[in-house]
Amino acid sequence: MAVIDYKYKDVIHRCFRCGYCKFPNNWIDVNNCPAYARFRMETYSCGGRLWLVRAWVNGEIDWSEHFAQIVYSCTACKNCEQQCPLRFNVDIVNMIVAAKSEMVERGEIPPSAKEFLENVQRQGNPYGNSREKRGEWMEGTGIEAYQGQEFLYYVGCVGSYDTRGQKTARVLGKVLQKAGVSFGVLGNDENCDGNEVRSLGEETLFEMLAEENVAQFQSLGVQKIVTLSPHSYNAMKNDYPGFNGGFDVAHYTQLLQSLISDGRLDVSGGVNATVTYHDPCFLGRWNEEYEAPRNVLKSIPGIQLIEMERNRDGALCCGGGGGNFYIDLLGGSEDSPARRRVREAHETGADVLAVACPNCLTMLEDAVKAEELEDKLTVKDVAEIVGEACGIK
Amino acid sequence: MDIVACIKRVPDTSEVDVIKIDASQKDIEKDRLVFKINDWDEYVLEEAVQLREKLGGTLTAVTVGHNDWDDVLRRALAMGADTGIRIDQDVSAEDTHVVAKILKTVIQQIPHDLVLFGAQSEDFGSGQLGAMVAEMLDIPHATLVVGLEAEEKRVRVNRELEAGTLESYTIELPALLTIHTGINQPRYISLGGIKRAMKKELQVMSLSDLQLSPDALNPMVRLEKLELPPKGEGAELITGAPGEAAEQLTKILKDTGIF
Amino acid sequence: MDSVYQALVDIVGQEHVSNRQEELFIYSFDLGTTEPHRPDYAVAPRTTEEIQEIVRLANREKVPVVPLGGGLSLAGLAVPFKGGIALDLKRMDSIIEVNEKARYALVECGVSQAQMVSYLERYHPTLTHSEPGAPGPATIGGNVAIHGQGDLAQPYGFNSDMVNGLEIVLPTGEVCRFGSCSISSGWFTLHPLPDLGLFLGWSGTTGIITKVSLRLFPCKRIRGVGQFVVENEELVPEVIHKLTHTQMAEDIIAYSQAVPPFSSGLQHFLINLAADSEKELEFKQEIIWDDTLGEYIRRGDGGFLGFRQGLERPVVSKTSDWRKGGGFEYVGAIMPVDTYPECYRQGREISERHDIPYTVLGRCIGMAHAMMFSWTYAFNRADPESIKQAREALHETDDLALELGGTLWKPGLYGQKLVMERMDPHTLELMKKVKQLLDPNGIMNPGNWEVS
Repeated sequence: MAVIDYKYKDVIHRCFRCGYCKFPNNWIDVNNCPAYARFRMETYSCGGRLWLVRAWVNGEIDWSEHFAQIVYSCTACKNCEQQCPLRFNVDIVNMIVAAKSEMVERGEIPPSAKEFLENVQRQGNPYGNSREKRGEWMEGTGIEAYQGQEFLYYVGCVGSYDTRGQKTARVLGKVLQKAGVSFGVLGNDENCDGNEVRSLGEETLFEMLAEENVAQFQSLGVQKIVTLSPHSYNAMKNDYPGFNGGFDVAHYTQLLQSLISDGRLDVSGGVNATVTYHDPCFLGRWNEEYEAPRNVLKSIPGIQLIEMERNRDGALCCGGGGGNFYIDLLGGSEDSPARRRVREAHETGADVLAVACPNCLTMLEDAVKAEELEDKLTVKDVAEIVGEACGIK
Repeated sequence: MDIVACIKRVPDTSEVDVIKIDASQKDIEKDRLVFKINDWDEYVLEEAVQLREKLGGTLTAVTVGHNDWDDVLRRALAMGADTGIRIDQDVSAEDTHVVAKILKTVIQQIPHDLVLFGAQSEDFGSGQLGAMVAEMLDIPHATLVVGLEAEEKRVRVNRELEAGTLESYTIELPALLTIHTGINQPRYISLGGIKRAMKKELQVMSLSDLQLSPDALNPMVRLEKLELPPKGEGAELITGAPGEAAEQLTKILKDTGIF
Repeated sequence: MDSVYQALVDIVGQEHVSNRQEELFIYSFDLGTTEPHRPDYAVAPRTTEEIQEIVRLANREKVPVVPLGGGLSLAGLAVPFKGGIALDLKRMDSIIEVNEKARYALVECGVSQAQMVSYLERYHPTLTHSEPGAPGPATIGGNVAIHGQGDLAQPYGFNSDMVNGLEIVLPTGEVCRFGSCSISSGWFTLHPLPDLGLFLGWSGTTGIITKVSLRLFPCKRIRGVGQFVVENEELVPEVIHKLTHTQMAEDIIAYSQAVPPFSSGLQHFLINLAADSEKELEFKQEIIWDDTLGEYIRRGDGGFLGFRQGLERPVVSKTSDWRKGGGFEYVGAIMPVDTYPECYRQGREISERHDIPYTVLGRCIGMAHAMMFSWTYAFNRADPESIKQAREALHETDDLALELGGTLWKPGLYGQKLVMERMDPHTLELMKKVKQLLDPNGIMNPGNWEVS
């Protein structure tokens, strides 16, 4: 029956389209699938997407740009995998990525996804900015190149090139300096970690990036890596071992947690703020790390932590995954997941929305502006809040 | 239909401040630059592949350049070209006329109903190469093509003029067209596709294979000097709430006579 | 340019209309065995006013309108048999008011069951609604429209008996309100105004429900399920009769299924109890297990399998995976309780003959006035033969339910015809007149309940 040789063609028909995938586990909101939240048409829910992929694989519908857009609107947040009551749920995100891979091989992907991947191919980052500028973020910080220090501080594309992300990269670097951590960075020699490339379905490009990065790290003698972004954390911790990359990988919130509890980082300067924390998908649902960032925040005097209704494994994705922080298929409406999340944060009464991911940072900060809440809610990375507590500007 | 697509490899200059003039002042420093296929030529290849998918026949991609220029041919092969031909000669500093002579010699030796060039290149941007080759081959040509319908023996083309005006022609084959951006949406070429294309045929030829001696290729135009434009005086930053800023900007645009 | 499309865009905005193949494909399907039919448009309105304009447009252009909530009827009740507009009502999802004193919730039709459950748990924990066994995304509006039943069916009846007020958009575009809401701002009672019950059980053929005022009931601190089992199916009706006499239970379900194999042939009971104190719970447990079911246990005719605190969320979708096939459909019928043994025996026989592991279930409604009895047939969506088997089994079961003296609950086209064939001719005539009065152009969910 299948006209396309699709990897999951014997499994994908098992979706009943019952719709549990739209909710978090406490059922509090039907808008927990970011694409469904944005469009509220059945085609954009996980079940709708799977049924469409099956129809395409079986030749019942033809490829169209709208079809590609529906498939690429999936941010790989894993809410659906978690909520689906059926046993094939472990493969749901894989099924959607496999559909994207088929389209990549045919060259039939949305134009913005094409740009993303071509930019990574050429310049090692989705923005297409020059490799020669990747290390500009660290000017004036005194952060050193990696030459065998204890940690490789891996910044990633958003931290290196996005102006807002760069601020966080700098602050985190200074915090690590203040704590006396021995670390170095790759600067212009850093290349894309490949996590979004893989979730966009470009498997061969991902493999090339993983292989090159593993070879580079190994030639430099890297053993421990601390990442700014949960996306890098996910790729290096879970995927790189398959390319002989057995490094000890931590997300920076995990390192800060131990630095604070060991007394190596003094946050007694405190910060007075009511904070609500947004769980990033690649730290939370993908890697089940919900507590380290919260422990870091709770250890800062003056911070009052309030939870949103949807937190931990029920968090609403900011809409930036699956390359969407660049390809932007979920923006342009008050129904966009980022704007919904910002409204939810505002409802808690918090004045700071804390994030632990540079993608979430840019997505949610833009949403605060779109919601005209700039004077009521500030989006800050956990690193920035820690920086304030240690007296770093 | 036998199609020949002529393509070029250019540096990625989307960020201007990575361009530096070299010591000779006749070229730019290339060792830290990233190279890619000329933007217009992406549309050429996509158009050529679509035609071939529709009408059958052969598609040959041709380029003139040193070793590294194989990568643009690999891309063409990954997109569906049957053969790639590279004439192994660094002509990046040569004038258009020299390049045209080389290409004309190659094209003459292979079946060609339709010859396609990009309308211009991203680096030197002379826009002359296609027209010159057509004249040398003594076949009709049309430039700045934004619409194309092909049949066995003829093509119908739309050319883009100013202010969006379109001009239509019917041209008997064999003919040469220079293709403008926007005529189609070039497909994505995956890394896997390029790797698989490594197995396809890629011919490398020298000038002597073409029976062209180096002095037969005397330039008619010589590049004297390359220089960067002088830096401007700085930008005026408009601040304030969106409504106020828009008013300010409108005033500036009106006062300077732009609108 | 398609003028209907453009008119729809003008009403709801471009983002909430589609005439593209992807939306049309998805909205053509019911999740059961009904054959798909393409709509011409998929539209997701946000307000009652938008729905009014859509319906007026549909009347002008003679375009069918097929309203759907969760689309989980599994009987093809939201399949656009004659094309037209698939009207996805799930964007109408505001919980407008919860009145604790009068115990009702005023909601828009597209509020999901899941949303209702979690909202009440979070903000009004002493109140609950009768939660049906459908998956969470099923809507309040859809459920009352088909006379659904939930986990408070035994004391309080059908979910449609729990309606205190309705707002409806008529097929000709007017908005009507039924109940106290039509004369005041309170939505606390449907009666005693003249009955205008022309919209529930009609499968959306007479109008579109846009607001529902739903009765809420006390939610006690401790809620749990007791399990009881008997071997002899003939005992089931009398057990139910005795249990209902006690007036102690919230929900009484009897079921039997082939999977897991060790339980095949046994009749299980799920008895929901609720209490605000240990004292109350103990009291109720004594009455149920000692005083009422004790005789069966002592005789060895029945076994007590324990009481588990907490109510589990329904995950009926798991049934769809029984044949690793992503599909199931069931016949639901409202049957006299004493037909349980025959329903079980003959239903099991039909399943086995069609090579489907049998699943039957009866939910007690009211004081055993009736039960909702369901026969479920799982199928493999990728195997056309298994779909055919399921469809045949379903049709046979439709016939069976009527032969045994029951009536079909939310039947699809096949079942609707069987019911209309048996219906009192004057009633049928009246149905036809009502339909013509309300929907002169026949645009509302055509194909359903068409009296010839």
